[in-house]
Amino acid sequence: MPSIDLLSGAIVNGILLGGIYALAALGLSLVFGIMDIVNVAHGHLLMIGGYVAVIMALTLGLSPLLGMLVAMVVLVVVGLLLYEVMQFVVGEGMEQPILVLFGIALAIQNSWQYVLDNFLFGSHAQTTDLSIITGNIVVAGVSFSSSRAVTFVVAVVLVVLTWVFMQYTKTGRSIRATAQNPAAARYMGIDTDHIYRVTMALGAALAGAAGALLSMLFPFDPYVGWSYLLKAFAVVVLGGVGSILGTLAGGGVIGISENVGALVIGESFRDVVSLSIFLLVLIVRPHGLFGSSEGGE
Amino acid sequence: MDRLTDRLPAPSRNVALGLGVACVVALLLVPTLTSNYVEKLVLKGVVFAILAISWNMLAGYAGQISLGHAAFFGLGAYISAWVTTPSAAGFPEWLAMPALVAIVVGGLGAAILALLTGPAMFRLRGHYFAIGTLALAAIIQLLLNNMQSLSGGATGYYVQNNFGSAAVFYLAVLALVAVFAVTYYMMKGRLGLGMQAIRDDQDAASTLGVSPLRYKMWAFVVSSFFAGVAGGLYAQHAMYVNASTTLGVSWTIDTLVIVILGGMGTMIGPLLGAGIFMAIDNLLTDLVGVLATSLEGILIALFVIFAPQGLYGFLKDRFLDERRPGAEHPTGDSAAVERGSD
Repeated sequence: MPSIDLLSGAIVNGILLGGIYALAALGLSLVFGIMDIVNVAHGHLLMIGGYVAVIMALTLGLSPLLGMLVAMVVLVVVGLLLYEVMQFVVGEGMEQPILVLFGIALAIQNSWQYVLDNFLFGSHAQTTDLSIITGNIVVAGVSFSSSRAVTFVVAVVLVVLTWVFMQYTKTGRSIRATAQNPAAARYMGIDTDHIYRVTMALGAALAGAAGALLSMLFPFDPYVGWSYLLKAFAVVVLGGVGSILGTLAGGGVIGISENVGALVIGESFRDVVSLSIFLLVLIVRPHGLFGSSEGGE
Repeated sequence: MDRLTDRLPAPSRNVALGLGVACVVALLLVPTLTSNYVEKLVLKGVVFAILAISWNMLAGYAGQISLGHAAFFGLGAYISAWVTTPSAAGFPEWLAMPALVAIVVGGLGAAILALLTGPAMFRLRGHYFAIGTLALAAIIQLLLNNMQSLSGGATGYYVQNNFGSAAVFYLAVLALVAVFAVTYYMMKGRLGLGMQAIRDDQDAASTLGVSPLRYKMWAFVVSSFFAGVAGGLYAQHAMYVNASTTLGVSWTIDTLVIVILGGMGTMIGPLLGAGIFMAIDNLLTDLVGVLATSLEGILIALFVIFAPQGLYGFLKDRFLDERRPGAEHPTGDSAAVERGSD
C-alpha cells in the first residue's frame, strides 16, 4: 500500500487531470446530446488541437495557452467541414454516422502521420511546455506541477463558460430546444440545421482546446485519438449525456481512479484502470452516475 | 446446397454455384501454382473473408455494431499460439497440440470470451454497445501488451508447428467454405430470422416473443468463434503473433471496410468485399504507399453515405431486381421477407 502522501498527491493530481478530461469530453457530450451522434472522430479532433499547439510552440514560440486559442479557431473550421459531411447522415439511424466518422478518423490519423513524417518533425511523440511558471506548487503538504494547476483552471473556466453560454444566451437556448425536440424547435422558428452546424463547431472547438491543454501534460502522436475518445466517452457516460456540469464530476472520477490505479497497480495499467471503470459503469448504470433517464439507445 | 441460390432463376443459380466452385478450386490451386508471397496475400484475403462473414453476422444481420472484433481475432491467434508452442509462454509442454486442434481451440477461446462478456455487453444498446466493445478490445489489448511473459511484449511470440504453410492454407479455404455454409443456414433458419427481427426493430421483436438477448448472444458467440478461428489460422500461417499488431484496431477497421464495401446484411457482400479489398489495398499501397489507410477511411465514409447497401446491393439493383421488381427487401437480405410471406 502506498503512503498517504503519495495517495493524496495522486488524488489531487487526479482532480487536476479530471478538469481537462471534463473539457475533453464536453464536445463529445454536446454533439451526442444534441445531434444524437457519437463522434468517434472526437479524439482525433483533440489530436489536431494538440498538434496545432505543438506547431505554434515549435515554430512561433507561442505559449500553449495562446496556441489553445489558435487551436480552437482551426477546429471551428474543421468542425464546420465535418458538419458538411455529416449532414448527409444526420438522423439516418445510429450506425451510419458512427461508420462515416470512423472512416474520417482513420483518414485524419493516417494522413496526419504522413504529413508529419514527410513535411514536419516526424511522428514521434511531441509535447508543449508551459514556460511561464515552472516547478511544483505545494499546498498543505501535497505537491503538484504548476502546469497541471494552470491547465485545470483554464479547462474548468471553459467548461463553466460553455454552461453559461448554453444556459443564458439565445443561441444556447435554441440549442437546448433543438436537443429536446427538433420538430417542435423548427415550429418555433429555430433553424435546426444552423443549430447542428453551431453544435458541431462548438464541439470541435472544445476538443481543440482540450487537445492544446493536454499537449502540455502528455506527449502527442497521431494515434492518441482512440484512447482520448474512450476516456472522453467514459467521462460522458459517468456524467450523463448532454450534462455540462456532469462532465466535471465524470472527469474527476476518471482522473482520480486513473492516478490512484496507476499508483497502486502500476503505471502501465493506467489506461486499463480507467477503461475498466468506464466499462463497469456503462454496464451497471448505462445512464451514467449522475445522468438523467435520457440515453440507453 | 440447393437452397443456397433458390432465390435466383435457374440459369443464374447454376452460374452462381459454378462460380463458387470455381473460386474454391482456384483458391486450392494457389499454394502449388504461385509463390510464397502470393500465398501469404491470398491467405490474408481468406482470413479477411472469414472475419467479414463473422462480423457481418453480428452487425449486418443482428444489427449489433461491434467495434471490438479485433479482440476476438487476436485472442484466437494468441490462444492457438499458446497451445502449439506452450513453453514460450511458460505453459507446461504437455499442453502442446497440433495446429489443427489449436485453431479450433483458438476459436473456442474467443467464443468463451464472448459468452462471458456478452450478457454484460448486451446491457448496452446502439451507440453504447459500439463504444463498449471498443473499450473491451482496448482493455484486452492493453492487458496482453502488459503481460510480457504471455504475449512476448514488443518482440512478439513465435509459433512453432510442423504443419506446413500449405496445409494451413488448405485448412483456411476449408474453414471459409464451412463458415459460409454454417452462416448461410443459420441466417435462413430460426436463429437468423430472430437476429434480423431484432436488427429491424428490437422492441417490436421483443413484443412478439423474440428474446433479444438470446439471439444477440447466438450472434455474438458464433461470430466470435469464427473470428477466433480466423485468428488461429492467421497465427499458424504467419507463425508469429504480436499484441500490438495482431490485436490492433486495424483488423476491426479492415473488416468494417470489407463488409461495408461488399454490402452489410447480405451473404455475398463479405466475400465480394474481401476480394475487392485485397485488390484495392494492394493497388492503393502501390499507388499512394502509406496513405492507403486514408483512402480506405474516405472510402468507408463515401460508401456509407452514397451506397449504404454496398457493392452487392448496387449490383443486385442493377442486374437482378429488374426481373423481380419489389421482391427484395431494400435494406438487407431477403430471407426475412420471403419467409414471412410463406
